[in-house]
Amino acid sequence: MSKTDVFGASLSRRGFVQAGGALLAGFALAGKSASANVLNPARPESWIEIHEDNTILMRTGKSDFGQGTIFTAYRQIVAEELSAPFAAITTVVSGDTDRTPDGGGTFDLLGGGMPNVRKASAYVFQALLDLASKHLPVPKDQLSVKDGVVSGGGKSVSYGDLVKGQKLNLTIPVKGDLNSMFGLTVDGNPPLKPVSQYTVIGQSFPNSAIISKVTAKETWVTDVRLPGMLHARVVHPKSLGSKLISAGTLDKTRFPHSQVVVKGNLVGVVAPTEWEAIKAAQQVASGTKWTEWKGLPGDQRLFQFLKEDADWKNAPVAASKTNKGDVPAAIASSPKKLTATYQLPFLKHAPIGPTMAVADVRSDGTVHVYTHTQNPQALRTGIAFMLSTSVDNVVVRTFAGAGHYGRSNGGNAGAEDEAVILSQAVGKPVRVQWMRPDDLQWSTQSSAALSDVRLSLDAQGSLSGYEISHYMPAMQDDRLVGALLAGLPTIPAPNEKGSIFGIANGMNDPWVYDATPAVLERAYGTGQVGQTSSPINVGLRDHSMRTPGQYQQNFPRELAMTEAAVLGGKDPLQFRIQHAREKRLLGVLESVRDNSGWNTRPARVSDGISRGQGVAVMFRAGTYWACVAHIAVNPASGVIKVEKITVAVDPGIVINPAQLKRQVEGGAVMGVSMALLEELRFDESGITSNDWRSYPILTMADVPEIKVVLVNNPEVGSYGQGSEAANALSAPAIAGALLDATGKAARRLPLKPEYIKALLA
Amino acid sequence: MTTLAVNGMKREVQAPADTPLLYVLRNDLELSGPQFGCGMAQCGACSVLLNGKEVRSCITTLGSAAGKEITTLEGLSARWAQQKGLSGADAAKTLHPVQAAWIEEQTPLCGFCQNGMMIKATELLEHNASPTVSEIKDAFTSGISPHLCRCGSYTAIIQSVQRAAASMAKRSEA
Repeated sequence: MSKTDVFGASLSRRGFVQAGGALLAGFALAGKSASANVLNPARPESWIEIHEDNTILMRTGKSDFGQGTIFTAYRQIVAEELSAPFAAITTVVSGDTDRTPDGGGTFDLLGGGMPNVRKASAYVFQALLDLASKHLPVPKDQLSVKDGVVSGGGKSVSYGDLVKGQKLNLTIPVKGDLNSMFGLTVDGNPPLKPVSQYTVIGQSFPNSAIISKVTAKETWVTDVRLPGMLHARVVHPKSLGSKLISAGTLDKTRFPHSQVVVKGNLVGVVAPTEWEAIKAAQQVASGTKWTEWKGLPGDQRLFQFLKEDADWKNAPVAASKTNKGDVPAAIASSPKKLTATYQLPFLKHAPIGPTMAVADVRSDGTVHVYTHTQNPQALRTGIAFMLSTSVDNVVVRTFAGAGHYGRSNGGNAGAEDEAVILSQAVGKPVRVQWMRPDDLQWSTQSSAALSDVRLSLDAQGSLSGYEISHYMPAMQDDRLVGALLAGLPTIPAPNEKGSIFGIANGMNDPWVYDATPAVLERAYGTGQVGQTSSPINVGLRDHSMRTPGQYQQNFPRELAMTEAAVLGGKDPLQFRIQHAREKRLLGVLESVRDNSGWNTRPARVSDGISRGQGVAVMFRAGTYWACVAHIAVNPASGVIKVEKITVAVDPGIVINPAQLKRQVEGGAVMGVSMALLEELRFDESGITSNDWRSYPILTMADVPEIKVVLVNNPEVGSYGQGSEAANALSAPAIAGALLDATGKAARRLPLKPEYIKALLA
Repeated sequence: MTTLAVNGMKREVQAPADTPLLYVLRNDLELSGPQFGCGMAQCGACSVLLNGKEVRSCITTLGSAAGKEITTLEGLSARWAQQKGLSGADAAKTLHPVQAAWIEEQTPLCGFCQNGMMIKATELLEHNASPTVSEIKDAFTSGISPHLCRCGSYTAIIQSVQRAAASMAKRSEA
């Protein structure tokens, strides 16, 4: 076996083979065997495989959640670094814990411009150059590569021919913990392809997963069927703090094949068919008795509770790195001032399909989970911890499913642990499907928040001082709810010792108005509402959702900026340009101004309808955003119609224009929905939003015209993150447009007709 | 035993007559098009065509579907082939123009709702060959409930319906 160093990676030849020669790029981790990841150590777990037929296989521990990034941008990044055709990557393996190398979650997929697949490909490219240099033989620095063919000295060889008949392994250095929320990261600094030579990145390749979904060929998680599998429904407690008094008795004459499983406060009903499981669970639920609990403030008193009752002194206060100047002095000496409080309700991730999973706890102690999760390795770790077994005994396989926008980025989507507990109890594979009310009432929420703003303008109407204090309960509770109900071990709650994220709030919305002389931004955190007083330690569990924490901070800042502009008699878009210094921010502002039909003029009123325009900006993970909303509001009814949303986005390098455009459109629509309609309803015991009528989302009838302007900016040298983050932009732009149309600032979301009608009365 | 006519084929099913058609299609007939979204006819993820009319299979009982012609996402291409009188080989390689448009426009994000969206689009285009944007919006939001998409693909869906309509019109002229 020969070994060659490749920029810190190690290339070895493990022998020669008659057929199926390949180069496999795997990883080495000090103190861990490479097979720790797999139940079957014979199964390869490489990142990249170069096959002798010139096809390429890529693997990633991340799973696709509807952005298509795994099937488009990731492929493009790999093809680019390898200087191979996009079409050469014929197989993408993603998400399965026993078949993928790196773990981590479906968040920050583009990894600050340096996702694992990019660096892994860069190492492989160098290894291929080394092989070609020996094969041709031509010195490495005289080689060039195009479409997977290496040329030099008048000769050439394809990647396939380089690996033909050989068994080559490239061992790539990594760091991190595979089984943690963040997984492994490729280490070292292999040479990267210069951006100026990009040919694959920047093209609109179609998403291969779309064909299988549209033609009904996709295997969705909902299609997973195992031999002997039983269907289950869970009878969830009466409130978010109820304990079980007694489970209802099953009517065996009606449901002869059904079975009730009780573990702690977890009540499940299993049956051979889905319809019997549903009906039997309904019958059992009607006879199940729970303790009463009234430990929540209720939605009507939420913001009073957050302001007056919640304890904000227990968590470290986050201060923005860009704070500067003496804000109290600046405000005191300025002629114009504004003080305001902004309020955002709890939201639901609200996937179109409720969470479901199949679990198979086998007699040999192995556990197989089939689900749709954003973080299979973290789920695997959570399931192993719940069962007090080794992670080596647990496999998580992932399938396509309903997107849920961050809800499972720390592991579980909801049903997995309940399926495992029920499968273990009955000794057969069990499929748990949550019903629509389960999914709305027993999943996590996107945190509610409130922010206090004080700002001032100088004599010229420029921002002289700005102070904001953000308040938000903990946002990342990844405990398995089935384990909580069953009394089994879970990771700590955010308020408990050992929690990864704790209850502290962070400064999530970077300050972008560099010309402001005095700025003071702070963020305060607290525990989850009702959790510690809940006898089952549940309450209103929260979880990050699209643009997490930043949405909650960007709405108050951007609406306050619009209010400040109006206070000083300035155009809100020009006011932002006046306070910005960063070229890319100015670029998206000018782009959105020119592309939206922004027009500085008095608000128009005709036939009792007022029309207005509003603007919002955001900087997130390397990407600059600007959005303009055009709305029409009927003051008599309070109904707001969003007529047009224009978004300009500068992510640096645009990897796939067509896919990015669709993602931005989707984010903008979700944002309009959040702005106009969405609000978690809850009383003192639990969540009362239990269907699409009590948690309405935007329908096609109200979808505005959407215009997306992509600002490709290769000079940045990298690609930014968060294509779906457009969801954060709509609300502050719409509220800004309402202020333009009516002169009134709506500082509380959502902008429902009854609220707007009262505001304008 | 209930006999169903699904995608042009007779299928025998052993299930109680009150079983929602959705569970029969998914679990007994192993079709993957219709999805469980709400079970209350509020979202449209489970839609199928019943005698050409879009219905929610989550509240349609097996008993009421017996003897009627059921078309699922799996059967759209064959439905189109039959409507156009395409022969075996041509039929096998032909996608329904709605499906083709959904691919060309790169419409789905997570795609979980798109079964119902494509079923609704097919029903609409069979009755209105050239719908306006307002007619498309009306079709997708009237009836028992609006068709819901959480990922926000509505804009793409409108564009896809228009593309499918144009493509169907072109083929009618040919």
